Amino acid sequence: MHIPSIEVHKAATLAEASALLGRFSPDVRLLAGGTDVLVDLKTARFSVGHLVALGGIKKLRGVTEERDGLRIGALTTITELDRSPLVAGAYAALRDATSRMATPQVRNAATVGGNVAGAVPCADLPPILIAMNATALLSSDKGERTVALEDLVVGPRTTVLRDNELLAAVNVPRPPERFGAAYARFGLREANAIAVAGVAVALALNDDRTVRSARIALCAVAPAPKFVKEATRLLVGRVLDERACAQAAALAMEAAEPISDLRGSAEYRRELVGTLTRRALAAAQQRIGR
Amino acid sequence: MFTARTFTINGQQYDVAIEDGETLLDVLRDRLHLTGTKKGCDSGDCGACTVLIDGEPLNSCLLLASTVEDRSITTIEGLARNGELTPLQKSFVAEGGLQCGYCTPGMVLSATALLERNPDPSADEIKDALAGNLCRCTGYTGILRAVERCKNYLEGGQCAKPRGVEPSGVGASIPRIDAADKVTGRALYTADISLPYMVHGKILGSPIAHGLVKRIDVSKAKALPGVLAVLTGADVTDTKHGVSPARYDEDVLAKDKVRHIGDPVAAVAAVDEKTAERALKLIEVEYERLPVLTDAMEAIKEGAPLIHEKYKSNICTTVDFNFGDVETAFKESHYVREETFVGNNVFQSPLEPHASISTWSHDGNLTLYTSTQVPPYVQYMMAHLLHIPLGKIRVIRPAVGGGFGTKAATTPLDICSALLSRACGRPVKMVYSREEMFQYGRGRHKQHMKIKLGVDREGKIKAVKSEVHLDGGAYTSFGVATAYYAGSMIPTLYKIPNYRYDGYRVMTNKPACGAMRGHGVPQPRFAFECLLSMAADDLGIDPIEIRRRNAMTPNTMTVNDLDIGSCEFSATLDAVAGKSAWKDKYGKLPKGKGIGIGCGGFVSGAGYCIYRGQVQLSHEKGREPFQKKSIFPHANAVVRVTEDGEAAVLMIGAAEIGQGSDTVLVQMCAQSLGIPASRMRMQSADSEISPLDLGAYSSRVTFMAGHAVSRAGAMVLEKMKPYAAALLGCAASEVEARDGTVFVRGDASRSVLWAEVARKCFNADGPLVGTGWYKPPEGLGGDYKGATVGTSPAYSFGSSVCEVSVDLETGKVKIDKFTDYHDCGTPINPQGVHGQVEGAIVMGAGETVMEGVAFGDDGQLLNPNLHGYLIMTIKDAPEIFSGVVDSYEPRGPFGAKEIGEGSTLPVLGAVAHAIANATGVWIKDLPITPEKIVNAIRQKKAADAARRERRDEPVTAK
Ligand SMILES: Cc1cc2nc3c(=O)[nH]c(=O)nc-3n(C[C@H](O)[C@H](O)[C@H](O)COP(=O)(O)OP(=O)(O)OC[C@H]3O[C@@H](n4cnc5c(N)ncnc54)[C@H](O)[C@@H]3O)c2cc1C
Ligand code: FES
Ligand code: FES
Repeated sequence: MHIPSIEVHKAATLAEASALLGRFSPDVRLLAGGTDVLVDLKTARFSVGHLVALGGIKKLRGVTEERDGLRIGALTTITELDRSPLVAGAYAALRDATSRMATPQVRNAATVGGNVAGAVPCADLPPILIAMNATALLSSDKGERTVALEDLVVGPRTTVLRDNELLAAVNVPRPPERFGAAYARFGLREANAIAVAGVAVALALNDDRTVRSARIALCAVAPAPKFVKEATRLLVGRVLDERACAQAAALAMEAAEPISDLRGSAEYRRELVGTLTRRALAAAQQRIGR
Repeated sequence: MFTARTFTINGQQYDVAIEDGETLLDVLRDRLHLTGTKKGCDSGDCGACTVLIDGEPLNSCLLLASTVEDRSITTIEGLARNGELTPLQKSFVAEGGLQCGYCTPGMVLSATALLERNPDPSADEIKDALAGNLCRCTGYTGILRAVERCKNYLEGGQCAKPRGVEPSGVGASIPRIDAADKVTGRALYTADISLPYMVHGKILGSPIAHGLVKRIDVSKAKALPGVLAVLTGADVTDTKHGVSPARYDEDVLAKDKVRHIGDPVAAVAAVDEKTAERALKLIEVEYERLPVLTDAMEAIKEGAPLIHEKYKSNICTTVDFNFGDVETAFKESHYVREETFVGNNVFQSPLEPHASISTWSHDGNLTLYTSTQVPPYVQYMMAHLLHIPLGKIRVIRPAVGGGFGTKAATTPLDICSALLSRACGRPVKMVYSREEMFQYGRGRHKQHMKIKLGVDREGKIKAVKSEVHLDGGAYTSFGVATAYYAGSMIPTLYKIPNYRYDGYRVMTNKPACGAMRGHGVPQPRFAFECLLSMAADDLGIDPIEIRRRNAMTPNTMTVNDLDIGSCEFSATLDAVAGKSAWKDKYGKLPKGKGIGIGCGGFVSGAGYCIYRGQVQLSHEKGREPFQKKSIFPHANAVVRVTEDGEAAVLMIGAAEIGQGSDTVLVQMCAQSLGIPASRMRMQSADSEISPLDLGAYSSRVTFMAGHAVSRAGAMVLEKMKPYAAALLGCAASEVEARDGTVFVRGDASRSVLWAEVARKCFNADGPLVGTGWYKPPEGLGGDYKGATVGTSPAYSFGSSVCEVSVDLETGKVKIDKFTDYHDCGTPINPQGVHGQVEGAIVMGAGETVMEGVAFGDDGQLLNPNLHGYLIMTIKDAPEIFSGVVDSYEPRGPFGAKEIGEGSTLPVLGAVAHAIANATGVWIKDLPITPEKIVNAIRQKKAADAARRERRDEPVTAK
């Protein structure tokens, strides 16, 4: 279907984008890579009279190394993030998500901001970002604020963003020593398959190989990316043996609130969460090395 | 609101006024007529619309044109410079990187971007880069090869220049004659064509799956500016249409009832598609809902509502085959096993959506451009519905982007575009969206199969009995033939002395099913192959060995009176066993790894055509009593040599739909003319130019049209012989021709140029023309009801070995490898044969593990798109070895049989067997999804544990 009549406003600055949002709200959407917005408009998931195109805001684009970590501009494409030389070392776990999602063409258009703030339950970046303790920098003409990534998305396609607020950047804190993260996802094809379930894990170990910190987050098994708080409590201070991993997997399965749909039943998804949790924990551990 | 915008496309500036909401894809195609960029899904799933933006591939369907003004855009048209193909394009042409060509522009652009970044990519890097470009034809094998070997086509590379005169006749793997047009985006598909003053049509489909139409109000739609015509059931003929003459049950537009989601209710023509879409929303329809039937086994229950009054118990066809005495044979069998299998409603999903353009002349002649496999059947059906003679209808079949059976009948687009065009006096174009394609359907029947096998001690088949309910959707379409095919082809592969088949074609409130690749046979074949492998395992006989013991032999009449001629089935079994190292693997692989065998074969063209009478309007004359012969030739060709003798134009209405028929027909005709294929031109698209060929279905074209074109070529040569004899000083009977030279048999030094002889002919006798035709042999088939279905002049055979890895925790299957050997007769173009096999393997494997249209209880389609309905990507495709065994079919042209559909048949069973071999569990309902595997493994574990416990009990008791 064709997109109904719509006006596209190209914002040159964040402030301008925020002002445009404020002016046309609620008959307006942000347009980043457009890979979700265009499909939604064509299939009439929603219809709006105005789009605010962010493409012209240069400042929103790119990955930079900051004192306290990595700053990923909201307009950075998935491909740019995937190919960034800064995504190295412990940060490289991000590639578990960026290299496996969607298609090359979609990744060339899709932005980090769209993936995160789009708040689609099966989006691949939020879980690994949550596991890596990332924060979201939100910006409006009234100023900026920072929220933890796990607090950004509250439900399917709903966030804590205010009407004239947008996501400016995602900050991934510099990982501590002896840190490893991984994202294990399950799709029904080898490529271009939406996640049926995904589990992201980030671990930091003490010198004695006990767990210093552990964060687990789930994809596609809840209305929003699911941060499994209990897993942190369970694992900290322990050695990651088989029993600990199995218990963490059980916690993750319990935390999941999957639905049944075409891609899999709730029971199957829950089972996948268990398997993927064990696999992600193993992969993260392996990345820490000895 | 329109804004003037400037785009930089292929280095050239374009100024154009567009609306803000237009996608780059629509601007390229509709406003700038750069139609090399294709629309396959309009939602980012297929990659057909790929363009390069600043050198990187993006989906132009997901880009608003208004946001890319400052970017550099490259489309497929921009790659070749000054008519010279890029090395990659040359590689695609030479390596068989394309078939229908619809995915090709996007594929070539994605690969171009990759090679720009990484000139020497690994196979995995190529697969990663092409993972966003779906191809339904090639199985990706030729594509991968083309990209890998691109280096060879660089300036100075080993294949950069053609090496002298290459063989181009029968048996040569010449590139497809349309390849260059397809890699450059020049090939025109129906939706690419735009006629002056053309407008656009859309159909309003029913939003409910079953109901009565109580009231339709189109006044608001008619009042919308830009709307030119609106039609409803009240405005159109009462004549019904369909495929099987005895079961025409479809209304052009709903008269009183709708029977599935998308059932056509009204049609609109407007100045552009967007306006037509808006108009549809303004049509008010009041429905009275009726109970919805989505399950065939529910639909046949007593008391179920009838979808058509005339089909009692919702069954439109009942088949009853009974040969020999199965019950006695089962009693006498050493081993009997019965199993129930369920197939899936697979949709062909060709990359190119169905499309039609109609335009009428002032004297009432219709020209219809349509994306079809069967131009003459469309012509026939249009005449039937429009009540005009067939001769007043011209059907043009532009390039077709794949069909696989969903384009084997007249579509609502054909009909409505003609009616709307007549109503508004302008050419009308209509194109299905991806969702509408699914709603139109004509995919594979979902078959519920109960099948029983009896064998003796050695594993030799004593009897087979099957009962099949075919869930066919809301209309009969091909269903009568499907129900017969599901039964008639089982006895062609193995010798079955006693055979019983009961088939029921059931109506449900879903889009009608039709004739998908392998028509009716793949699911019963899957069931039978699984059952045979189960039996082999139970009896401790190797699964390939049990097949050898039962294999069909040449020159055999099957129990159901099908006349098998050449048959090298056993040779295919030996070949796959050897090539796949079967003996070293079966039963010896580690857990999670599996290997399996499947076999199959098909007809080389149906022995009888769907309309058995003359080529005429069905209502002009009553149906004639059936005679066991074809009334008119099924394939007809004319070849005309140009006046200078340098080229020959072959005219035959055989439908090139991507399978490569134009190329093999040219090869066969060139061979019999005695000139290189490069001197042939093909005219197969236009019914006004090319004589009737029934079309691309039942794997008939190479065989039947092949005969017609070789006979036409031979006639030309016969006409040339006296003139050549005079020039060469020999007898006419001593004249031979090859590769453009005419010479004396046995003394090639006495020769004259072919063109010179042809000129002599023209000077003396006028146009140098040959004609040829083909009728299947008379008397095919037995004398029982339904005996015609499955008859054919020749049968193909094949065996496939599949190897898989299964993740036993998640159930995920990776199809690693396929080894396939076919008896397709003598291949005319081996590359074309392998291309069909590779495509069929990937399509068939996808069908087995991931495909299936899903429905809600209310009949809504749950996955009418290419992100819900998954087909394999290049990363899912297995490594494939395709081989052919030596074979010659005396009844075929140059010994050829078929490969297009037969290649699908072994695949499903081979995959299922390999999965069973890897997991220890047989999954008997398709598709074999990871979830089903995990559940079956769990159940088996529980059952095993229970059994162990039971076995333990008595021990402890003692
Ligand atoms: C074929 C296909 C396959 C896909 N596969 C996957 C997959 O495997 N995994 C996956 O995660 N996703 C997948 N997607 C979804 C999609 O590509 C991603 O979610 C993408 O990252 C969205 O980014 P975008 O820039 O295109 O967003 P847009 O479509 O431009 O926007 C999406 C939403 O986010 C909002 N938004 C965008 N930027 C901001 C911002 N800076 N601040 C606030 N709100 C903002 C928009 O208003 C809109 O509501 C797929 C999409 C397609 C078409
Ligand atoms: S048409 Fe754009 S991806 Fe299919
Ligand atoms: S050649 Fe790829 S879709 Fe037909």
